[in-house]
Amino acid sequence: MNDALMVVIAAQAVTAAVPLVLAGTGELLAQRAGMLNVGIEGLLLTGCIAGFTGAALGGCAWIGLAAAIIAAALLAALFAWATVVMRCDQIVTGMAINLLAVGGSGTAWLVAQGQGYAELPANAGFSRGIVPGLSDATQAWLRDLPFIGPLVFDQYGLALAMALIAATAWWLLVRTRIGVIIHALGDAPDACAANGIAVRRWRVGLVILAGALAGAAGAYLSIMRTHGFSPLMTGGMGFVVLALVIFGRWHVGGLVAACLGFGVIDALQSHLQSRGLNAVIPYQVFQALPFIVALIALAAMRRGTSGPRLLGQAWPTER
Amino acid sequence: MSRWLAASSGILIAVGAISAVILVVLIGLALLGHAPTTVLTTWFHGAAGSWTRLALSVQEAGPLLLTGLAAAVAFRCGVWNIGAEGQFLIGAVTMVAFGTVLLIPGPGWLILSIVLILSAFSGAAWALLATGLERWRGVPVVLSTILLNFIAVAVVGMLVQGPLHDPTTTAPQTALMAEQMRLPVLVEGTRLHLGVLLAAIIAVALWLVLKRTTIGFEVQVVGLNPDAARLMGMPVGARQVLVMAVSGGLAGFAGAAHVAGVTGMLSGSPVSYGYAGIAVAMLGRLHPLGILVAALFLGMLSTGASGLERRLGIPHDLGDVVQGLLVLAVLVGGGITARRALRPQAEST
Repeated sequence: MNDALMVVIAAQAVTAAVPLVLAGTGELLAQRAGMLNVGIEGLLLTGCIAGFTGAALGGCAWIGLAAAIIAAALLAALFAWATVVMRCDQIVTGMAINLLAVGGSGTAWLVAQGQGYAELPANAGFSRGIVPGLSDATQAWLRDLPFIGPLVFDQYGLALAMALIAATAWWLLVRTRIGVIIHALGDAPDACAANGIAVRRWRVGLVILAGALAGAAGAYLSIMRTHGFSPLMTGGMGFVVLALVIFGRWHVGGLVAACLGFGVIDALQSHLQSRGLNAVIPYQVFQALPFIVALIALAAMRRGTSGPRLLGQAWPTER
Repeated sequence: MSRWLAASSGILIAVGAISAVILVVLIGLALLGHAPTTVLTTWFHGAAGSWTRLALSVQEAGPLLLTGLAAAVAFRCGVWNIGAEGQFLIGAVTMVAFGTVLLIPGPGWLILSIVLILSAFSGAAWALLATGLERWRGVPVVLSTILLNFIAVAVVGMLVQGPLHDPTTTAPQTALMAEQMRLPVLVEGTRLHLGVLLAAIIAVALWLVLKRTTIGFEVQVVGLNPDAARLMGMPVGARQVLVMAVSGGLAGFAGAAHVAGVTGMLSGSPVSYGYAGIAVAMLGRLHPLGILVAALFLGMLSTGASGLERRLGIPHDLGDVVQGLLVLAVLVGGGITARRALRPQAEST
């Protein structure tokens, strides 16, 4: 494999990893605080449809992004209310969120189609390689930088935001008092409460933050990467994100590495498919590949978790 | 007396949840310009307006009942099997394989019974993959069962377009199953088949097992408190494996009965009885008889919704929204308490 091809594949890997890192960082923060949201697939899908309809109706990609973030955050707030305030089981509530999002996005999509919004207007999506606030010449120069150009600057804008968000999350978790609190929320919520920390308020806040990030990731899929919506377009990506959070051992660095590795596999398989391998191997193998990889990764990792001690458990334990 | 109180409060929660969700949906549809009375009457006509429609609703309830039981059995033991969707598909594809390319000669009813059991076993085997990954590699069941759903979709798709593909068409579908491998129809002129009756019998049997037998008791104690169960000397791990096998077997049987009773083949179009089973289980409050009623209700909901789509143009996808809302409403109303989930039970001591 020559160098140019490697750069292409690396750049594709980054493009594929962006939504995984975005949604994964949010889920990681929530899980560290003890909140397991398996409804992340539904939040992504909500981001997709809200991003699409927002951009199509508003005629502007930014409206789409904002709509995606708000819609997914609202759905996450519903999850937070049910699990934190009403103490419902987190797994079943998460699956209910998924059902809601599948039905809701399907209904909204049919309505949008009926109103004549089946496709994204030409200028209502984000385009590649644009860094807001820089002149065209500077941007072109940045994109043409060897190696760094395609990997960092010839990406959609959210790629840079993703790097910033992941770095911030890492810094928060590892270096600040907030990080200590978030860890403690998932490991020893009683101790938090004893120190005057409002456990439930923190958990609700983090779940909503995770929802907003998943919404942004959904918008990335619909109004950046594909410029369109199709029913169930997330295709299980949310569940892969859950696997990646575990595989990264609930550390931001591990998560980012896992997502990039996943992106490389994704880029490689689409490259191999385009090279004619799909004539030899049924396309379903490629379709199942992300999930097989995720399962193998989880099975291969060393046992004994470094995860949050009370993940998925309501607080206070006894009412 | 207190038992009756507990049962009636459970029923109250379910009825309350249903009423609340129907109210919300009717208000939502009214805002979109559909009069609530029209919606209700159209829905009822679709769901139970004639004997054929009613038979269709009951037929639709069959797979929902089985996947609902699959979810409930597992949840009651604290085993998070979210994989009924995949187990359903594996059971269905096994049935289709033995109904088309792998036809076994012999007396029809005997072969059919054997293949139905075999299909249930295939669903159980698919479910036990997740248990194996948990036991040996510490992979959380809640995640592996979901991932296995997507792998099952691909595996079945590959089989449908590969070895099982109908050579007379280019459409992604299998050939029709042989007549002797189809489940007999109960009511003339409908597709209400023997599998639905079997599902109802299984529900009652499961209720008796949970209520009257030692194993049933142990399964529930393990679900409520695995540490206490272990202290009492119950074989916690063995019960969890058993429950997973039963759960996967029920889902696999659901798939097999569906293809042998209704469709007679598999095509590329998706089914979602597996995920809907979670809604059925929650609405039935994890009680086999409650699930029987919940499955009938959701079956009527589904056939009624297709009537709404045909006559009023209300998207069928709204059915998923209703299911999601129902689960949330039951959860919020019932306060089924959360427990530790992502950690393998074996390590929780």
